[in-house]
Amino acid sequence: MKAPLFGSFTGQGRDKHMLGPLQQIHIPARRFKDEDEVDYVIVGVGSAGGVLVQRLARAGFNVVGLEAGPFWDTEKDWVSDETGSHQLYWTDPRVTGGKDPLALGANNCGRGVGGGSVHWAAFTPRLHPSDFEVYTRDGVAVDWPIDYSILKPYYEQLELEMPVAGPAYYPWGHPHGYAYGPHPMGGVGNALIKGCTALGIPVSIGGPVAILSGSHGDRPHCIYRGFCIQGCKVGAKASTLITHVPDALRSGAEIREHSMAARVELGPHRRVTGVHYFDRDGRMHFQRAKAVIVSGYAIETPRLLLNSACPGFEGGLANSSGTLGQYLMAQAGNVVLGRFDDPVRMYKAPPAHALTEQFYETDPKNDFARGFAIQTVGPLPVAFAKQMMAAKKAWGWGLRREMMDYNHWASFGLLGEILPWVDNAVTLAEEKDQFGLPVAHVTFNLHENDKRLIEAAKNKTMEVMQAAGATEAVQEPRYAHLVGACRMGSDPRSSVVDKFGRTHDIENLFVCDGSILPTQGSANPGLTIQALAARTADYLISQGDRVFQTVPRDMAEPPLHRELAPPETWGKGVPRLK
Amino acid sequence: MSVDPALQPEDPATGEPLRPTRQPGYYPGFSTLSQSPFWEDATRDVVETRVENPPQRRFFTEVEWNFWHLVFAHLIPQTDRTEDRQVPLLPPLDERLYQNKTAGYRYEDMPADREVYRLGIEAIDAVAQKQFSGNFDTLPYRNRELVLESIAQGKPEGGEDIWKRMSPSRFWQMILGDASEAYYSHPWAWDEIGFGGPAYPRAYTRLERGEPEPWEKEERRYAWEAPRLAVSSRQAQTKGDNQSHHGSGGTH
Repeated sequence: MKAPLFGSFTGQGRDKHMLGPLQQIHIPARRFKDEDEVDYVIVGVGSAGGVLVQRLARAGFNVVGLEAGPFWDTEKDWVSDETGSHQLYWTDPRVTGGKDPLALGANNCGRGVGGGSVHWAAFTPRLHPSDFEVYTRDGVAVDWPIDYSILKPYYEQLELEMPVAGPAYYPWGHPHGYAYGPHPMGGVGNALIKGCTALGIPVSIGGPVAILSGSHGDRPHCIYRGFCIQGCKVGAKASTLITHVPDALRSGAEIREHSMAARVELGPHRRVTGVHYFDRDGRMHFQRAKAVIVSGYAIETPRLLLNSACPGFEGGLANSSGTLGQYLMAQAGNVVLGRFDDPVRMYKAPPAHALTEQFYETDPKNDFARGFAIQTVGPLPVAFAKQMMAAKKAWGWGLRREMMDYNHWASFGLLGEILPWVDNAVTLAEEKDQFGLPVAHVTFNLHENDKRLIEAAKNKTMEVMQAAGATEAVQEPRYAHLVGACRMGSDPRSSVVDKFGRTHDIENLFVCDGSILPTQGSANPGLTIQALAARTADYLISQGDRVFQTVPRDMAEPPLHRELAPPETWGKGVPRLK
Repeated sequence: MSVDPALQPEDPATGEPLRPTRQPGYYPGFSTLSQSPFWEDATRDVVETRVENPPQRRFFTEVEWNFWHLVFAHLIPQTDRTEDRQVPLLPPLDERLYQNKTAGYRYEDMPADREVYRLGIEAIDAVAQKQFSGNFDTLPYRNRELVLESIAQGKPEGGEDIWKRMSPSRFWQMILGDASEAYYSHPWAWDEIGFGGPAYPRAYTRLERGEPEPWEKEERRYAWEAPRLAVSSRQAQTKGDNQSHHGSGGTH
C-alpha cells in the first residue's frame, strides 16, 4: 500500500492534551498560591514522585508536584526518532569524572513529567530476598533496614498498577508469576533463548516488562515499533505520566511544570517550611509546605540538598552523617553485540523482552561477591553506530561497512551489581547552571569486586551470544541506571534517611527515589523505586497529621492501602497467581 | 560531476571503482520516506524537516565550517553517493553548538563542547604539522586519513599541550559521534542499512527471523572494498575497549 486509504495519518486531538492516542486528560486550572501552606511539596514527578503525588492526593492531602521539565502531550511532543527525542533527557550541565566516569543524560536521567519512566526500557524484575542482606550473607556493602517481605506486597501491587507483562512462573529470587501475559519474541529475544538453551541456562521470555501485551482501558497494547526509550507514543509502556499522574490530577493534585527547585528552606525547630524554585522565566518563587519530599533521583536529589546548606547544616541539608552524595551506584551495563549470518532486524519489538537471572546470586566458585543478569537490548541506528565506534573502533569506511550490516546484529546487555563505595559520589562543582545553581560533579571508580564481576559477566554474555550462533561477538563497556547517594539505613551516623525515607535529621523532610537504595542488586531499579514510593505514601497516609507535628517518630509498618491505587488497576488481567 | 577513482569504493572482482549511486547499501529500492503518510504528523514534521530544511550555519565561521566539513568527510565518507544524495553532516552540529545543547554532562578531562570544536582545529592542525609539516587542509587525502587515524588510536603525535586540556579519545568520541548521529538519523541512511524507521501508529507485525514487513525490502548483498586511499576501513578489524559517548539507545 502506497498511502493510507483516507489520507496521511495525523496525531489525535490537536486541541486536547493527550497521553497516548486514546487517553485524553484535562489539566485542571487548580493552582495553589505560593503563600498557601500545602501539605506536601514533592520535588520531581518521575518514577517515585508520580506514585507519591497520586497516592497522597487520593488520600486527601493538598499536594504540589514541582517538575523541572514539561508536562508532556505525547501526541504533540514525542516522535518516533532517536535524534528528535533529546528533550526527554536531563541535559542541564553536569561534570562527570573519576577513573571510570559515568555517561549521564540520555543514559540514565529523565526530565519532564514521568521522569526516567518516560524513557526506561521498562524491564521490571524485583530485587531478590538476598539483596536486602548482602552484608550478612557476603560481608560486602550493607544490609537494608527492611527485608524482602516488607516490599513484596508493594511489588505485587505495582506490578498490577503498571501493569507488568511476564511469564506465569518466574523462577528467580522469590519465585512468582505475572497476571498479564508475556510478549512475543523479537529477533534478539530468540537469540537469547537459543544461546541460553544451548548452554542449559533458564531464560525468562516476554517479560517481566511494564509494557502492555493486551489493551488496558484507554491504553492500547504494544505495536512492537522499538522506540521504547524515545518515549512510548502508543501508551503501551508504563510511565507514571500515564499510569499515576492522570489519577493524581483527578484527585486534586497540582503538577507545576517548568519549576526547577533551587533550595529547600529550613525554618525554626529544625523543620523545613517549603521549597524555593525557578519558574520557566527564571523568576524565583517560594512554595510553602508542611512537609517536603525530594524525588529528584540519584544526582539531583543530593545536589538539591547540598545546595540547601544553611546554618546548622553547613555540609548540606540533612547531612549530619556526612554521607549525603556518597555511595552512588550505577550497574555495569556492558553491551555485547553479535553478528549473525541471517538477518535479525533488532529494531523491531521492545528492546526489553527476555532475560536470565541465573547468575544473579553470589556463587562461592567465583572470585567476587554478588552477580549479574543478561537481558535483551535493541539499539536503533544512531545508538548502534556509537556502539560500533566503541566496540570495534570503527570510523570512516569501516563504520559505513559495519552499519550496512545493522540488520545482522543482535545485542545483549549485561546488568551487573556494582557495590556502593564511599568514593563514588555526587558533590557540587564550581560551575553554575542557567539558574546560577552549582552543578553536580559525579565521581565514579570501579573497585576490585566490581571489575571481577564485570569480567565474568562479559565473558558469560559473550559465551551466550556465541552459543546463539553469532559468528562474531564484540562488546562495549557502559553503565546503566543510577541509585544511591542518599541512602536509607537504621543508623543516622551512616545513612541519610530512615526506612520510610524520612531524613534522620529533619522530621518533615523526606527523600523518596532511587537515591535511597543502600544496594542495587542486578535488577533494573524502576519497579523497586515505585514500590518504595507506594510504601512511603502508605506510611505518610497512616501517620496523617503526625508528620506535620513535632511528635516522636513512629517506626511501625503501615498497612497496605490497595484502595488508593488508580481505579483502572482493577478488574483486568488474570487472577493473581500465588 | 568529476569522480576521483582513488576515492571510490571498488568492486573486488574487477578492481574497478564503483560509480556513485543515489542509494548505496543492500536494500535497493527501499525508502523509509515513502512511508511517511503512515507516520503521525509530529514524527513526519521532524524527519521531513531534517531532510528538506537543514539548519543554516550560525555558530561556526566560514573557515571553521570548511575545516570541519573536510574532517567530517573522512569520518563519514560519502563518495559512494551521488552529490544530490549526500547527507549534510555539519548543519545539525552547528545548530547544536549554536544553541549550546550538550549530552547533559561534560567529562572532567574535557572542555565545554563549543570549546572542543574551537580547540579541535588547533589540535588537528598541530598533529598534521608534526606528522606531515602542513596544516590539515593542505595535506593530501591519505595523509589526512593518517592524521585522523592517529587521533582515533588515542596517541596522536603533535599538539601535546592541547591534548593536556582535552582527552584525545573523548575528543574522537565527540566528533565521530556528532558525524555519525547526523548521518544515521537521516532517512537516506536508514534506507541504506535497511532500518524500517518510524512505525507509529501502523506497527511492526513480523518480529521473528529478521523478516521484512510487506513495505520493507529483502537484503541483496554485493561485495565492495573501501577506496584505495582510505585507511579508515582497517580500523574495524581491531577490537576497541572504549566506553561509548552513549546516545539515546541501548539502555536497559
